[in-house]
Amino acid sequence: MLKKASSKLADGTRIEELIDIERREVSARVLSDPEVYRLELERIFAKAWLLLGHESEIPKAGDYVVRDMGEDQVIVTRDRAGKVNVLLNMCTHRGMRVAMDEAGCTQIHRCVYHGWAFRPDGSFIGAPIEREQMHGNIRPKEELGLRKARVQLYGGLIFATWNIEGPSLDEYVGDLKWYFDLLFCRTDSGLELLGPPQRFIVAANWKAAAEQSSSDGFHTITLHRSLMETGQYGSSQDDIYANAPAMYGIDLSCRQGHSLRCIPAEQTFAMFMTADDFKKLSPEERLERLPPPGISRELLPQLRRHMTPEGLALMAKAPPQVGGMFPNVLVAFIYNPRTDGGYSGALTLHTYVPRGPNHLEFTNFIFAEKDASEQMKRDMMANSVRATGTSGTIEQDDSDVWPHMSRNARGAIGRTQTLKYHALLGQKKPADWPAGGYVYDGFTKDDTQWNWWLYYRELMMADT
Amino acid sequence: MTSAPASASRDTLQAPSTGKRVATGSAPYNEILEFLYDEAALLDQRRYREWQKLLARDLAYTAPLRTTRQGPTRDQTVIRTTQHFDDDYGSINARLERLETKSAWAEDPPSRTRRLVTNVRAWEGAGTGELEVESYLLLTRSRYEYSELQHLSCVRYDRMRRLAAGGLQLARREIILDQSVVGMANLGVFL
Repeated sequence: MLKKASSKLADGTRIEELIDIERREVSARVLSDPEVYRLELERIFAKAWLLLGHESEIPKAGDYVVRDMGEDQVIVTRDRAGKVNVLLNMCTHRGMRVAMDEAGCTQIHRCVYHGWAFRPDGSFIGAPIEREQMHGNIRPKEELGLRKARVQLYGGLIFATWNIEGPSLDEYVGDLKWYFDLLFCRTDSGLELLGPPQRFIVAANWKAAAEQSSSDGFHTITLHRSLMETGQYGSSQDDIYANAPAMYGIDLSCRQGHSLRCIPAEQTFAMFMTADDFKKLSPEERLERLPPPGISRELLPQLRRHMTPEGLALMAKAPPQVGGMFPNVLVAFIYNPRTDGGYSGALTLHTYVPRGPNHLEFTNFIFAEKDASEQMKRDMMANSVRATGTSGTIEQDDSDVWPHMSRNARGAIGRTQTLKYHALLGQKKPADWPAGGYVYDGFTKDDTQWNWWLYYRELMMADT
Repeated sequence: MTSAPASASRDTLQAPSTGKRVATGSAPYNEILEFLYDEAALLDQRRYREWQKLLARDLAYTAPLRTTRQGPTRDQTVIRTTQHFDDDYGSINARLERLETKSAWAEDPPSRTRRLVTNVRAWEGAGTGELEVESYLLLTRSRYEYSELQHLSCVRYDRMRRLAAGGLQLARREIILDQSVVGMANLGVFL
C-alpha cells in the first residue's frame, strides 16, 4: 500500500498530476490505466458510500441479494432482528465464495467448500464435526464472522462503506441531501424497486460512465440527438442546436462530487415549449398539469405532506431529473411524457461497477413509488425499459460510446492526451433559491463534472 | 415424440403447450421454419420495415431477466418483473423510427449480425390458427473493426398466428437469455 509521501505511479507521475487544476484537464490514461485502477479500488471503492440496492428486495428475515462493492462481492442480508447487513462474500476459512447465487433466503449461509457456516448477521456459527473443533482454538468464534461493511439506509436505498470510522451517509451526501430527499423520501411508503436490476457489461472503464453521470448535460444534444429527430424533444432536425432542448436549467453539485440537473419541462418537450400558458401557471397549477416524474395526481397530497413549500415549488417548476452520486451512481428520475394515455415518467438508478480497468458492469435499478397504482407501476417499468438500460433507446447510445474512450486511453500517445473541462458557467443562484450546494443557473456546462474530478482527486490523494 | 417442451413444467419456462406436436418435416413445420429463417434474414439485413410486417398489432415482445439460484429455488431463474425488452407493437415502431433518424449511433455504424436459428419445435396452439414455437437463437454481433465477436444465446417462445390470407404472423415472443449478466453493451438489435 502506498504511503502519502510515495503516492506516485510506477513511471513517477504523482496522483495529483492526473488532474490538472490550472487547466481543468484530466489525463486520459485514467480511463484505462491498471495501476490507477488498483488504487481506485482501495481509495474510492473501499472508502466511499456505495449504493447496493433497496430494502424492498429483502423484505423477510433471511432474504439476501448478492452485490458488488468495487471488485469485492458482498451479500446483502436481512437478519432476524430485521436489520440489513452487508457481508463480504468470502469465507473466513479459505477465501471461498459463500453465497453462490444472486438472491435467496436462508438462516444459514454454509460455505460449500469445507462447510463453515454463518448467520445472516455475519456471525460465525461453526465448522462441521463440532467435536473435532475444525476452526481450531487460535481465534474465538467472535473473530471468525464474515467481514461486515457499515450500512445505512436512505429512503430504503441500501448504502454501505468499508470506511467504518468515516463520515456518515448524511455527511457524505452533504449539501445535496435536501434535493435528494425530494426524490427518495417524498411519499408515505417511499420507493419500491420493481424487480432485480438489469445487468450488462460494457467494455469501458467505469469512469467513462461515471464522469458522465456527474451531470454531463451537454452530451444529450448530440449523442441523444435521435430523441429530438423523432420529435420527442422540442425541436426539429434543423433547429436542434438553436432550440437546445434540455440545456437550460439549474445544475447543482457539492464538494463530494454529487450532482443534479433541475430541468423545467418547457425547456425540453415540444408540448410545453410552445404552450405559453404553461409557463404562467402557479406551482400548484403546474403540479396538477404535469406532476413530477414518477408522481401521479393521486400522489400529490402525499408530496404536499412530505415536502416544504419550497421543495414542492422546485418539483413543480424544475424537478431534479438527472445526476449522480459519487462515485458510480447515475440518477434518472425523468419526465417521459406519453401520448397514448399511459402514465409517464421513469425512475431509475444505475451503478457502474468496476470490472477491471477496461470493463464496467452497468446495473439498472427501476423504481416506482410504492403507493402508485399497479397500472402506473406497469407503465413506468415499460417506460424505463424502453428508454434506459440494456435496450433503452436513450442509453444504448451511451454504452456504445464509452468503450472507444477507454480504447483511446490505451495508446502510447492517447494515454498522454487530456479530457477537457473548460466550459465554465460559474456559481449563480436564482433569487430566493431555497437550499444549499453549488448552484449553477443557466446553460449546462462542465462545472459539476469538474467538481466530480476534484473529489476523485481528493480521495485518490488521501493517505491509505 | 413429446407433446410439450420437456422442461416447460418448470417455472423457468413459459406455460406448457398442450397442443399436438407439429411433425418435423411436415408442410406446416416447414412453413414455420421458413418464417423464422426469413425473419432472421430480414433482421440481419436490417430490413426493419419488412420485418415489422411480420408482427401482429397486438404483439407482446419481452425478454425477462435471468438469474442464478441455488437449492430448492434453482429452477426459478426467469424474472419477469424487470425485463430487457418490454415492448409492444407501438414501442417497436418507435424503436424503428429512431433507427431511421440520422443519429441512432448505437447501430450507426451498424453491427454485422448473424442470427443462427436452430432446434425448432412446434405445437398447435390453444386458439384457432395459433402455433406455439420454440427455437434456439445464437446471435453473433460484430461491431466496428474489432475482431472479437459478441454473442448472445437464448431460447425464444413464439406464438404465431396463421393469417386468413395465408402466411404467419408473430403475436408473442418471449426471449429467455442464458446470461444473467448480458455480455454486450446494449440490445440495440432485435432477438
